[in-house]
Amino acid sequence: MMDYVILSLIMLAIGIYGLLTKRHLLKVFVSVELIATAATLNFVMLASSLSKGVGEAFLILAFSTDTAVSAVILALLVIVHKKYGVNDIGELVKMEQGKETREVDA
Amino acid sequence: MILEVLSAGLVISACLAIFLDEAVYSVAALSGTFIFTSLLYALSDALFVAVFQFAVGVGTLAVLFLSGEMLSEKPAKKISRKILLLVIVGGALLSLPAIFLSVSGPNSVVSGISFGDALWNLRAVDVVLQGLVIMTIALGIAIVLYEKRNGGK
Repeated sequence: MMDYVILSLIMLAIGIYGLLTKRHLLKVFVSVELIATAATLNFVMLASSLSKGVGEAFLILAFSTDTAVSAVILALLVIVHKKYGVNDIGELVKMEQGKETREVDA
Repeated sequence: MILEVLSAGLVISACLAIFLDEAVYSVAALSGTFIFTSLLYALSDALFVAVFQFAVGVGTLAVLFLSGEMLSEKPAKKISRKILLLVIVGGALLSLPAIFLSVSGPNSVVSGISFGDALWNLRAVDVVLQGLVIMTIALGIAIVLYEKRNGGK
């Protein structure tokens, strides 16, 4: 016996854990992808067990949105990497704080 | 049985994607997540969604592999077997509640609308607008590339 609601909850928990604990920019992106996969999984499985066609048709919109979100996040990651040369959120925050401190001192 | 195996694989690959240190290995594990998800969809009679998921997943992974190579500064380290085994066992344990527990819900809201009917009768505006947006983006990229090419000469 399988329950996809619990499966998607587990996936969501893994994604949120990754989002909260991982500092690498690409890991953050992977966590966002996992959260999106969890939401889609829940939606598809409920749709396929209840009202098949409507759910699948709605899901195409969800996929487009998900892809657009991924593209925007990836573009931001590349811009941040090119501008600051770091791929760690902690280092990025430290750099920004240092910049603010220098501005206040000046 | 195959659905249970697929869901266990899904959770294990998601755990690997989060817990592996190297970005490229993490993306490789994410590819497993996409493949398992689309197989789950295909086995649950949602073939259109499975194909969409597969296509979107392949596109995302291609871009992610490229940016993973770009964003990782150090050469890839060898994965510790102990950690790998630990993550796999952890993922397998995490997938057990999904296999053995269940949440009951209403089963009476079954509607017999087919995918084609739903797409064209209920979501026609969305579909047309999405096509328009995709065409606009493609046109924008083509114009930017053309301007860049002309500017470079």
